[in-house]
Amino acid sequence: MQKEKIVINNLEMKFPNGVHALKGVSLKVFEGEFLAVIGLSGSGKSTLLRSINRLNTPTGGEIIYKDKNVLKAKGGDITKLRSNVAMIFQKFNLVGRHTVLSNVLMGALSRTSFLASLFGTFSKEDVEKAHEYLKLVGLSEKANTRADQLSGGQQQRVAIARTLMQNPDVLLADEPVASLDPALSHTIMDYLKKINQDLGITVLCNLHHLDLVRNYSDRAIALKDGNLVFEGSPNEINETWFKEIYGEEARQV
Amino acid sequence: MKIISKRIFFDTFFNAYFCSLLYFLPLYYSSTGLDKNQYLQGSSILAFFLIFVAVGYATALGLFVFKINSLGSLLFEPYAKYQVGFKKVFWKYSLYLSVLGTLVASLIMTQASFIDLVDRDGLSGAIRLFSGIFNPNFDILPKAILAIIETIYIAFLATFIALPFAFLLSFLGAKNIMTHPTAFTVYALLRTFLNIVRSVEPLIWAIIFSVWVGIGPFAGMLALMLHSVASLTKQYSEIVECISEGPVEGIRATGASTLQTVLFGVVPQIVLPYISFTIYRWDINVRMATIIGLVGGGGIGTMLIQYQGQALWQEVGCIVVVIAVVVWVLDTSSAYIREAIK
Repeated sequence: MQKEKIVINNLEMKFPNGVHALKGVSLKVFEGEFLAVIGLSGSGKSTLLRSINRLNTPTGGEIIYKDKNVLKAKGGDITKLRSNVAMIFQKFNLVGRHTVLSNVLMGALSRTSFLASLFGTFSKEDVEKAHEYLKLVGLSEKANTRADQLSGGQQQRVAIARTLMQNPDVLLADEPVASLDPALSHTIMDYLKKINQDLGITVLCNLHHLDLVRNYSDRAIALKDGNLVFEGSPNEINETWFKEIYGEEARQV
Repeated sequence: MKIISKRIFFDTFFNAYFCSLLYFLPLYYSSTGLDKNQYLQGSSILAFFLIFVAVGYATALGLFVFKINSLGSLLFEPYAKYQVGFKKVFWKYSLYLSVLGTLVASLIMTQASFIDLVDRDGLSGAIRLFSGIFNPNFDILPKAILAIIETIYIAFLATFIALPFAFLLSFLGAKNIMTHPTAFTVYALLRTFLNIVRSVEPLIWAIIFSVWVGIGPFAGMLALMLHSVASLTKQYSEIVECISEGPVEGIRATGASTLQTVLFGVVPQIVLPYISFTIYRWDINVRMATIIGLVGGGGIGTMLIQYQGQALWQEVGCIVVVIAVVVWVLDTSSAYIREAIK
């Protein structure tokens, strides 16, 4: 029996502008699994992920992580939560004017005092770790390059190194390969898989391409109009399920 | 039927203005000198205002009822109105006529006169002035250079002191940072206050401060400083509002505190534009310090007004040359630096 990492019950999200993004989603995320989240744009995938680390505050339901309801977290609890539940984004979200090394070090901000971060004096262990993680994503020689000089794929790898600096036990990946060349998608997905398997970090990944889902994930869930419509093995997603999730007019690519 | 809307509000005042033109222009043009004042005296101002607004409202309502495309409907009800002919193009006629009316009124008000421009006595005066300015007396050059150095330092100190204030206030004046309801109140109050400070010309501030701390460079510096705080805060805030959300969110998602998020997500995006705007502000302040000098704010402006008062045009010419050179050098170099750090 697998251990539950995150339990989501009846999650509701209604934005102030009236968009009802999540309509009572319940699911369990198991420790160490690679969970793919699929569905059309606007189906609530991003909202679901962003609720787990409280970039969004859902309007109803609960998210149980480490025996606590994430929705009740305040102030310091939220920053602690975010350092444990790391996130990478579709647009990488690096600080372009800073160097690659500095961007990776930003993953250590939650354990660095404000004064130390003001003067950019990170601890020696953190600097060593940053170099180590840059090596892991194959960007050692780019440490002193400005982040905006890198290609998209390289930037996403820096973002991955940044999340590793946080020592997370969950990684949320919001469409990590959607703005990359399809040829580069596999590189990034390979790194995510490696992190998942070698470091035992639980990964929740929003994905568009079903072949990536089948190749990399252990389990998949599908959202449609804010409802959970599928939960199971990626291989179970046949033509019937596909039409159910993406609509009658969709075609597999 | 909606009888109060943005469209009707706009049309009411537009029509009221047009009515006032129609009524006053002929009267004003035909009368002379003192009796011009008779049309607007004490309580009659309010009476005229109310009458014009009432007429304006009635016509605005008429335009609305008969579905005629007015200027207000064009601005505030952009969805297509399927009128034809006169009803469709009415707004054009009302716009052209009111611009024409305003042009005529402003010609009368400014007492524009071609005769004054080519009047013999006036022309000879102008020739005397120009021949003086174009034959500058460089004997006073050392004095002028000393004065303009004073002006440059006044501008520098004003910019320098304004900088930290504007830097801190700029975050409070940025809409994307002040999203919390309480924070938004602070934002709105700050923006309103700074708009008031900014809308008062530095010249007026210089007059206020010259009474407060006495005529001289210090008063000029204070005036420029105050204006700089207000202007820089607005420009800085706009930079903060234009930053991309991505890096900010990326830092926030690492578990960084709010201050750290600002430090690493916001600051790197704004530093260079801030420097650029600060250099530009100094450049502007040098030019403004010259003008402020005219009302006793010290520096080259004060020197200029002294020689101008004695009609010493050759000396004025020398000062003008010094100002032109310094402004040109600053303008070019600040543009060059701003381009380089983009």
